[in-house]
Amino acid sequence: MRSMKSVSRNLLAVAAAAGLLAACSGGSSGASRVAASRIVKIGIDLPLSGADASVGISTEQGALLAIEQAQKKGLPGGFTLRADPLDDSLQGVHSPQQGASNVRSFVSDAAVLAVVGPYNSNVAAAEIPITNAAGLAQIGPSVVSDGLTLGKAAANLRRANPARNAFFRVCTTDSLQGAALARFARKLGFGRIYVIDDNETYGLDLANRFDHDFRRLGGTVLGHDHLAQDTQDFKSLLIKIAATKPDAIFFGGVTSTGGGLIRKQMFDVGLGRVPFIGGDGIADLATVAGKLADGAYFTLAAPNAERLPAARAFLKAYTARYHEPIGPYSANAYAAAQVAIAAIERAIAAEGGAVPTRAQVLAQVAATHNLQTPIGPVSFDAAGDIQNPVISLYGFKNGTPYFISQSNLTTK
Amino acid sequence: MHEFLAQLINGISLGSIYALIALGYTMVYGIIGLINFAHGDVYTLGSFFSLAILGLLGATGELHGPALVIDAGLALFGAALLCGIAGVLIERLAYRRLRNAPRLAPLITAIGVSFILENAMQVWKGPSPVPFPAILPNPAVTVAGVAISLQQFVVVGLAIATMLALQLFVHGTRVGRAMRATAQDRDAAQLMGIDINKTIAITFLIGSALAGVAGFVSGVYYQSTWFFNGFGAGLKAFTAAVLGGIGNLAGAMLGGFLIGIVESFATWLLGGQWSNVAVFAILILALVFRPSGLLGETLPEKV
Amino acid sequence: MIYIYFLAAIAVVVVAERVPSVGAKRALYAALGAALLLAPLVDRNDSDYNVLADAGVFVLLALGLNIVVGFAGLLDLGYAAFFAIGAYTYGMLASPQFGIHLPFWVLLFVAAALAALFGIILGAPTLRLHGDYLAIVTLGFGEIVPQIFQNLTAYTGGPNGISALDFPSFFGHSFGQRALPYYYVTLALIALGLALARNLRESRLGRAWMAIREDELAARHMGINTTLVKLSAFALGASFSGLGGVVFAAKLSLVSPDLFQFQVSVLIVSMLVLGGMGNIPGVVVGSLVLTLVNSVVLPQANALASAVGLHVDFSSYHFFIYGAILVGIMLFKPEGLLPSVQRREELRHATAPQDVRA
Repeated sequence: MRSMKSVSRNLLAVAAAAGLLAACSGGSSGASRVAASRIVKIGIDLPLSGADASVGISTEQGALLAIEQAQKKGLPGGFTLRADPLDDSLQGVHSPQQGASNVRSFVSDAAVLAVVGPYNSNVAAAEIPITNAAGLAQIGPSVVSDGLTLGKAAANLRRANPARNAFFRVCTTDSLQGAALARFARKLGFGRIYVIDDNETYGLDLANRFDHDFRRLGGTVLGHDHLAQDTQDFKSLLIKIAATKPDAIFFGGVTSTGGGLIRKQMFDVGLGRVPFIGGDGIADLATVAGKLADGAYFTLAAPNAERLPAARAFLKAYTARYHEPIGPYSANAYAAAQVAIAAIERAIAAEGGAVPTRAQVLAQVAATHNLQTPIGPVSFDAAGDIQNPVISLYGFKNGTPYFISQSNLTTK
Repeated sequence: MHEFLAQLINGISLGSIYALIALGYTMVYGIIGLINFAHGDVYTLGSFFSLAILGLLGATGELHGPALVIDAGLALFGAALLCGIAGVLIERLAYRRLRNAPRLAPLITAIGVSFILENAMQVWKGPSPVPFPAILPNPAVTVAGVAISLQQFVVVGLAIATMLALQLFVHGTRVGRAMRATAQDRDAAQLMGIDINKTIAITFLIGSALAGVAGFVSGVYYQSTWFFNGFGAGLKAFTAAVLGGIGNLAGAMLGGFLIGIVESFATWLLGGQWSNVAVFAILILALVFRPSGLLGETLPEKV
Repeated sequence: MIYIYFLAAIAVVVVAERVPSVGAKRALYAALGAALLLAPLVDRNDSDYNVLADAGVFVLLALGLNIVVGFAGLLDLGYAAFFAIGAYTYGMLASPQFGIHLPFWVLLFVAAALAALFGIILGAPTLRLHGDYLAIVTLGFGEIVPQIFQNLTAYTGGPNGISALDFPSFFGHSFGQRALPYYYVTLALIALGLALARNLRESRLGRAWMAIREDELAARHMGINTTLVKLSAFALGASFSGLGGVVFAAKLSLVSPDLFQFQVSVLIVSMLVLGGMGNIPGVVVGSLVLTLVNSVVLPQANALASAVGLHVDFSSYHFFIYGAILVGIMLFKPEGLLPSVQRREELRHATAPQDVRA
């Protein structure tokens, strides 16, 4: 009886091997064309539960707002525009596996014409090969790792279809932001800086780039430390830093992974007067640090928001809709969704009101030219990065950010 | 030397929070053999309750004199009481039914309860870290060249006072004796006329109230709280309970302080990214050489 | 469509375990196997096979952990560490990271052996620990391993991990970007895992494991070398997750430390307990149920709700729903959804409260 059973199992294994051979040589990937309906969708893939909800939800809300507004205004051809948001946290941790699974389900839904997301660079690295193979346009609001669009690493991600680029991002790369931060830090007169990062994809890459460029510009990096996860106590590290008497502390990371608490705890160890600098991840520093945020600086990959009408309108609409302050990447996600919506609308118009294909939408995303968004005009270069990015420096006064200066960066 | 002392004091302050949480873990484990994964979230709940009470009292900044004593006292006792009630409810609704079930079943409900509490707090105060009012004036005294803040005195002092009170309670009262008896042999305790359900409920009440105290203390100390804090703190506090010898109250305190000190020194000497590795590596080594924890007794095997 | 696979597989296993006739049971399983093998003829949606292949990896992990926890009664809260070791084996030896490109099929064996080796390294000094002390040692190990992978940036790519891993190939045919080939690989590995787990359970070794689970002292007095027997459970269990790790990494074409956190260990333990510890069909059902909830139902909760005309925003309540499911199932089926017949009998005839510390 048992041998019968194991025979049937062996048969199963043999048949699986046969099926595998057929699967390898076999043809088309999923996307079965459902009968053309009048619904088009934008997939959103972000971490929405657990630890990453602190940034994921406010980012999602930015994208949802753009989609709601576009739907209210009406699409050409009478199409209905829907958002399809999926959570890429698994058990409360952002997961490349869940992200890849979500994007595969977008690919299999013929109504999805573009994807906004993800939040984390390593999730993007798992997703880009899939959207690349499917020719589905994907726009990242916040993923800054260089290797997603540039160099050999990016070429590796696109190996299924090397001639095609389907991934774009409205943020800059960490190398541009890190370099700009290093220049700002020198301009602010800092000579000796202690570098900290949160040991996550965004923070580590940004801090490494800053570290490198700050030295190149003649500054001294007193030390470079990485934070522990799952802790509230950064005083131990700060006591160690205080002994080095830095001009400033650089932080690569976001407010919720330690930025806010570090700023507060600097006051407990006598570093309260030492300036604190970081990237766009600490734009919302005051939500945790309050007035103690004064003396901190951060950059945004956008022109001066106070002078940008689109930014003011966005801020007003966002707070009216959600009754809470924007998150660090809400505006980016709004802009990313705008890019997708504008491309879909142009593709519909070009088709004379018929359902556009993904290839047409992708071509329109690539052709995005001077689209007015809350983070400035958006156009893409061949790699999918934003053209002529502007990076602005902000400081805090009474817990509110104020604009200091901006620098225009030419793309590589 | 100066930095050594500063790190030591920091480690003790941090450790006193772990110690308070570890006490609840160890009490519950001792009496029903359950790793109560939701306990870390009860600690976070404590800081949320304190925050809410301070909000009701209108305390948004530094307090002085009688206002400090009254508001802080209300927040502290309120948080402890509410957490205690939450603990009793959790035991009643999620664990009691499973007391005679296969031993891993309540472990899974504890994990489920932990997720439910985290989500509830996320919905209550939002997914981002929430600022906690800096109610305590924070002058520092300098001892041997090291600045010790009033906050640190309060944190450590409150923790030690709470622990002493607990020791007195467990060893000096009837209820405490019932708790120890139930922990040792539930069936025998029942035969001796001890109300097991009541005793277990009291254990949850006290353990969770201590987590509430820890929540208040951490709020005052860090001036920030976050719905997800309990996960990391709970894990380390549980580690502390095991390190000290699970079921042993003095061991839990010792373990808590040790974990805090190790974390502080590892961050200083090895870098923050290695602090968790150091904590757990020391745990593994300690258990290899002292299999029942630092203060745990080697129980004779049941035959 | 994806729901049909999960629900059908769960239903078949549940029904098959309840029918009294051996012939009917065998027929049901044969039909399920055939349906799973032939499904791609009908369903051309590659995304379905991606989810099923993920589910398959978790079934494999649960089968492996079941050897440790279910058979030998050793609570392991750091099983994801071995999963990580398997995945990083593929990540480092089949990718541009070091320019080493060993074949997938070879690395399956290498990873299984490496994971087993680490199981022995961890187990040898710690297996004499009692019950929950062992659980905490494994928990610590599970915390340390991904952190080390995260910190050794020069070798492991740090928090970003290693991406663009090699596509496996089968007789010269590359798997490419499609999920379907991985689906067949996981089916084959599950068949292998099921056969192995079943044969082990019936073997001398399996009986020794269960003897230790029931009463270690008695087992020792019966002349069982308890340390060796426990070590073998640890090593064999770990090797399953080494296999799972390779398939997982290859399909995702990426490894990164956040894939192997403590939560994953907890997830796999939940699969066992929820399904019915020690019972192989129960473990399969448990892992299918939780994968369905985690990877399909929760991410798509909003879409599902609006499909039935309910416009509720579930996106902020994922943890709540998941937690309620765990608590709910445990309260009403504390022995798991599909406990072994033996277990059920034990519970039914348990007159006095058992010692929970067992």
